[in-house]
Amino acid sequence: MSKTLLNVENLTMKFGGLTAIDDLSFSANNNEITSIIGPNGAGKTTVFNCLTGFYKPTEGQMFLNREDKTVNLNKFSDYKIAHKAKVARTFQNIRLFPVMSVLENLLVAQHNELMFASGYSIFGILNLKRYKDKEREAVEKAKYWLDIIGLTNRADDNAGDLPYGDQRKLEIVRAMCINPKLLCLDEPAAGLNPKESSELNKLLEFIKKDKKTGILLIEHDMSVVMGISDRVVVLNYGKKIFQGTPVETRKSKEVIEAYLGVDE
Amino acid sequence: MSSDIRTIIKDSLFTGLISLALFGPIVGLKTFSKGAGLFVTPHWTPVIFLVLACTIGRFLIGLNSLRKKEIGFVSKITSKVSYYLDNKGKHFAITGVLFAVVFPFLPFTDRYILDVSIMILTYIMLGWGLNIVVGLAGLLDLGYVAFYAVGAYSYALIATTFGWSFWVCLPLAGVFAAFFGILLGFPVLRLRGDYLAIVTLGFGEIIRIILINWYEVTNGPDGITGIPRPTFFGLPFKKIVEDGENSFHTFFNLEYSTMHRIIFLYYLILILALITNYFTLKIRKLPVGRAWEALREDEIACKSLGVNPTNTKLTAFAIGATFGGFAGAFFATRQAFVSPESFTFIESAIIVAIVVLGGMGSQTGVVLASIFLIGITEMFRDLEQYRMIAFGGAMVLIMVFKPKGILANRKPTITLREHDSK
Repeated sequence: MSKTLLNVENLTMKFGGLTAIDDLSFSANNNEITSIIGPNGAGKTTVFNCLTGFYKPTEGQMFLNREDKTVNLNKFSDYKIAHKAKVARTFQNIRLFPVMSVLENLLVAQHNELMFASGYSIFGILNLKRYKDKEREAVEKAKYWLDIIGLTNRADDNAGDLPYGDQRKLEIVRAMCINPKLLCLDEPAAGLNPKESSELNKLLEFIKKDKKTGILLIEHDMSVVMGISDRVVVLNYGKKIFQGTPVETRKSKEVIEAYLGVDE
Repeated sequence: MSSDIRTIIKDSLFTGLISLALFGPIVGLKTFSKGAGLFVTPHWTPVIFLVLACTIGRFLIGLNSLRKKEIGFVSKITSKVSYYLDNKGKHFAITGVLFAVVFPFLPFTDRYILDVSIMILTYIMLGWGLNIVVGLAGLLDLGYVAFYAVGAYSYALIATTFGWSFWVCLPLAGVFAAFFGILLGFPVLRLRGDYLAIVTLGFGEIIRIILINWYEVTNGPDGITGIPRPTFFGLPFKKIVEDGENSFHTFFNLEYSTMHRIIFLYYLILILALITNYFTLKIRKLPVGRAWEALREDEIACKSLGVNPTNTKLTAFAIGATFGGFAGAFFATRQAFVSPESFTFIESAIIVAIVVLGGMGSQTGVVLASIFLIGITEMFRDLEQYRMIAFGGAMVLIMVFKPKGILANRKPTITLREHDSK
């Protein structure tokens, strides 16, 4: 099994005359947290949108090395990325299903398995045992994740009624419910207080170690980035200006220039 | 306090002025033609009454709000009712169904009441069907009547051409309607909200206009006559029985009565409606039902979780349309006559109103809204076109006192509590 999980080669994304990502190549490893940082407008979210099939890149290739095979992410569009390629993501502004219960949110994430078990609803309508068993399994899985983030006692409440920090965590475990190989988190620590932030770090460490999932992280909160990432990719104006460990990144002249500007 | 009274008086006088301006020309002046000329006769008495009613009504509402500012009388009752329905919903549903079953044999039930009940049940069924599309999947469909029309016409055409029985034609009508549901679904997949509403509205009109103009098949505006009535497992409801033939009343040794057929139709639509309800309640708890609701909440999040939005939306359209088609087939066999006039936009609007005012996604809400809207409109039938005022009034009442619909509470499709107790 190769160590590299994600290979992005010469990725370019143009919106009309604007080049949001310019010839970007980077890689992310299995069981590691790779952070993508950069000033506002550097193209971080655009990279995510390309990876998760929301945009079709103008040029370039993206490969996901799974145990069984290497998957070319360019071939999948929108929902198939999560379904077939097993790349999950969260959003910068939380996108839960607010009036559905916490448990339902986690069950929607297991839609495809449940749909298959329910015989595309035919077995489900007939109340067959096969579907009932599968549903029980799905609930157990949801419960497992809820236990981890400590929300089991709120499972039947509407997701929209949860405190902000819990919503963030719920969105992450919802993404985990599709059993992803690669988890893309778009600013998971935004708006969290220090306590919630450290809880988040623990959750991400757990996912990385126990779930053998590669994590790709966009983050502005440097304490999170420096605390938990194994590698850092720095973008500026759609170009990669640096890739390395957190310690190396902190010392890099290019990165400091990009963030603080250059002395005259 | 006195300033409050002053405001109320000012308000009611103002209301009186507005109502005078409205009712003066609308009610107060009546035109009639005599010979070549057109003349106007004034009717001032009803105008005076109406204006007084509005002024005094406004004054009383003002006084009422002054007396107890916390909660109004009506909203107290409605909140109690919805609390009861939420917590004792099962009892209510069972009582409701039992009542519906014995209803035709109650002493006060006459033919007229039964006819109105059949109509209300048809709307309940349509409301439940549309609830799948609008309430669960969140796709505002203003052309639902198109599927009703497709169901009615496919039933009419198949039954008159091939002479097949109701029970064969009914599923076929559903299949045709589902096909049209998918046909509509494809072009509107990428549309949301207002744009979706406009296209579905157009679709409803297209179907109606095709029905009017495709004379060779649909017989145009003349409609299709002589649609066979449904039979009771092969026994027709005929008065005159030829030799060797059985009719419902001869088979069961009953006195012939036209009520038999009406009662049978009543039970038919009751069963069809209950099937719709059972199906909806069931499918809501299945993955596809949850996916509909998730899609209504956030389509992008759905995609990121691997839910196929295309298939999910198309199933919603197809299943919703199927029930519309069933209701259409029932309509055709009840009337024994269909024409495009029965499938105008106002029908779609009424069904959407029932779903929205009942409380999106609430099955009981649809029942209450149908009874309320259709019942009130029917009660004022003697007033002819003015009964639409009653319809509008009923809508306004619901909007004022229950802006989110009569029953707006959503229950989770699955709870951890239930799961753990198993």
